[in-house]
Amino acid sequence: MQAVRDLYGDFIRTFGNVLFAVLLFIVWGLLTLVGVIIAQGKDPATYFDSYAAPIARLILRLDFNNIYHTPYYVGIIGLILLSLAVCTFKRVIPARLPPLRAVAIDKIPLHASFDAAGDPETIRERIAAFFRARGWNVRKRELGGVEWTFADKHNWARRGVLVAHAGFVIIAAGTTIYWAKGFSGDEAIVTGQTVSVPHTQTSIKLDGFSYKITPIITKSGMVYQPIDYVSRVTATGNDGVARTATIRVNHPLDVDGVLYYQSSYGFAMRFRVTHDGVRVPALMNRDYLTGDAIDLPGTQRTVAFAQFVPTVDRLNGVPSADPRVNNPAVFLQIFDSGQASGAGLVPMKSSIDVGGGWRVTPERYLLVSGIQYTHDPGVALVGIGAFVLLAGLMISFYLLPARMFVRIDPAPGGSRIGLAATTVKGYDIFERQFNDLAAALGTKLIGDSSG
Amino acid sequence: MANGHTPLDEVLMIIAIGAYVVGALALLVYFFSRSAWLRHLAIPLAIAGCIAQFGQLFARYEITHIWPLLNLYGSLSLFAAVAVLIFIIFAFRYDLWFAGGFVLGLAALFLAYAITWNEGTMPAVPSLQSYWAKIHVPLVVSSYAAFMVSFVISVLFLVKYYLERSLARRNVSAADSPGLQWLDTMPSLAQLDVLIYRIVAVGLPLLTLGIITGAMWAHESWGHYWQWDPKETAALFSWIVYAIYMHLHTRNAWRGVRTAWVSVIGFLSIMFCYFGVNLWISGLHSYKV
Ligand code: HEM
Repeated sequence: MQAVRDLYGDFIRTFGNVLFAVLLFIVWGLLTLVGVIIAQGKDPATYFDSYAAPIARLILRLDFNNIYHTPYYVGIIGLILLSLAVCTFKRVIPARLPPLRAVAIDKIPLHASFDAAGDPETIRERIAAFFRARGWNVRKRELGGVEWTFADKHNWARRGVLVAHAGFVIIAAGTTIYWAKGFSGDEAIVTGQTVSVPHTQTSIKLDGFSYKITPIITKSGMVYQPIDYVSRVTATGNDGVARTATIRVNHPLDVDGVLYYQSSYGFAMRFRVTHDGVRVPALMNRDYLTGDAIDLPGTQRTVAFAQFVPTVDRLNGVPSADPRVNNPAVFLQIFDSGQASGAGLVPMKSSIDVGGGWRVTPERYLLVSGIQYTHDPGVALVGIGAFVLLAGLMISFYLLPARMFVRIDPAPGGSRIGLAATTVKGYDIFERQFNDLAAALGTKLIGDSSG
Repeated sequence: MANGHTPLDEVLMIIAIGAYVVGALALLVYFFSRSAWLRHLAIPLAIAGCIAQFGQLFARYEITHIWPLLNLYGSLSLFAAVAVLIFIIFAFRYDLWFAGGFVLGLAALFLAYAITWNEGTMPAVPSLQSYWAKIHVPLVVSSYAAFMVSFVISVLFLVKYYLERSLARRNVSAADSPGLQWLDTMPSLAQLDVLIYRIVAVGLPLLTLGIITGAMWAHESWGHYWQWDPKETAALFSWIVYAIYMHLHTRNAWRGVRTAWVSVIGFLSIMFCYFGVNLWISGLHSYKV
């Protein structure tokens, strides 16, 4: 039993220590930095290309290629939340909301004392009036036979830390809801096609896609600047009613709480495939996306649609950087039994001889719209948490809760006043104000008593 | 499309750099000599440079009708302008002019670097065509600017701390050390620490709000408020460093030299987030020109 109590005590001491929290922050920061420096979610081969083999292996073994979803990344945030909870209850609340208590005035770095004419009771009233007039909250207590006056400024702002910490917890809750209940994905939709979106009852038909690109001459050469991407769609949601809509960058479409975003575009191809001059019906009217391959029936041959080239320079036949369609061609790769056996840039409507009597002709291109979708039921909570956090920061940083301790003792010819101040951010930050206050109070009491 | 060279905007940029360079030199000499006339000369220069900079951004927007902060040229220009603005406000409030030579000097350097990124005017790519660009970018850039000012004070803190420590070891005072008298004319370490805290307390809420508005924009543009894109994670890293600063600063034993070091690291992380990610790491935010 004692062992359990000791363990609990150690746990509370460790997790309730701000320096331990800082240590957790450092680990969190370093893990985050790893994810910034190492490209995330790439193909394993990419890491072997970019790093020495042992480092690449280490990256993959430690899941540094997908660090933000690793148990230790999630774990460190979990530990931060735990530490935050313990610290809040065991440290922040007791330390930030201290009871009114007697102090040894001259042990506190910010202190002053002076004598004033007048009996302690009158002086106490004058001091209370002085602080009240400056917006301080004044309370009086008799502690250990001594009359104390306590004046607090921005006392409620002592809770700013609690607000900031609560904001962080709310954000964490919002992201957890997404992990538990949200989903996202993407679909490449060819013009005229309809896709059913997984996880939902929704189907989206792409009626048309258009893009606008403007060539601009900059100081370092020609840049083809994209200006607009627009998908015109017909979306059918839960209610079965088809509605037309447009999806553009920064203007997502909401269907039954799932948001659809314009994310990319590309080109699909239709090919005419002939064998000994005869069209192969099985391969007609099929849409091929970049990377797809045509398997030639009854052979080991495949023809891969490697890339769509929107503009081939008419003078030299070389692909141009212009992404607008103007003299397009298709880059095809031919494989025989899995081995590359040829490749070529094939203009539209021209054909390429694939061998064995087979010919492939790029017949028609179709625009493809890349649509991303997300359903995130935690997003509102994250938003609220973010603003709560921000409010907490503002309260903590811009309002300085300070407490004045005033002790008044009878002295020959009047009263002796001892004054000390503490703040939640140490003494240096309050030194100037304290000196000003003490001087003003001294002047007032001495002035009043002499007047 | 015209490659709009707008003479007015470039003239204002040159005026700003000129004002900062002369102001910086005056304040650097002031740092060592404390001759009041140098300060009186530099204050109007700092103010004029800052006004010229905001004028330059405004002129560019008026002429091109394209939000000027969407490339490194414009955003660096705002960065320097806000850094000088924050500095001027703090300098008037806390008599911070002694540090002005370093702030204005850095501002001039960043501006000169900005000019190398001036590619002329380009319309924004679709994801940047959003009102969020007008909210998110100024917030983030202003937070960087605040951290630049806190960085300068932190470095001065550290210089003072280590020099005073070494003098104390040799049992000599700054007043008796030729060339080091300026140490005594600076505010005390405790006062410098409070200043750093106050400036970080401007930067951190701005960075927080910048990250929040960035997340809101991402939600509208890319479908998720947080994509672990290198830029947003680098900003999160800087945010964590400044959160560490704030937490250490609550402890008496850690306040001072250690928190000053954290503030220096924080600004280096900001510079990495600003330039390193834009220029070396590709991601959704790599809008180079
Ligand atoms: C591991 C998790 C955390 C722990 C254990 C922790 C602990 C603490 C403690 C004990 C204090 C008060 C220190 C004092 O008054 O003596 C504090 C202050 C504060 N914390 Fe945290 N905290 C954590 C995470 C966070 C996070 C994620 C934020 C979000 C920004 C945050 C924001 C603040 C703020 C704004 C203050 C006030 C600083 C000031 O007044 O200057 N904390 N924290």
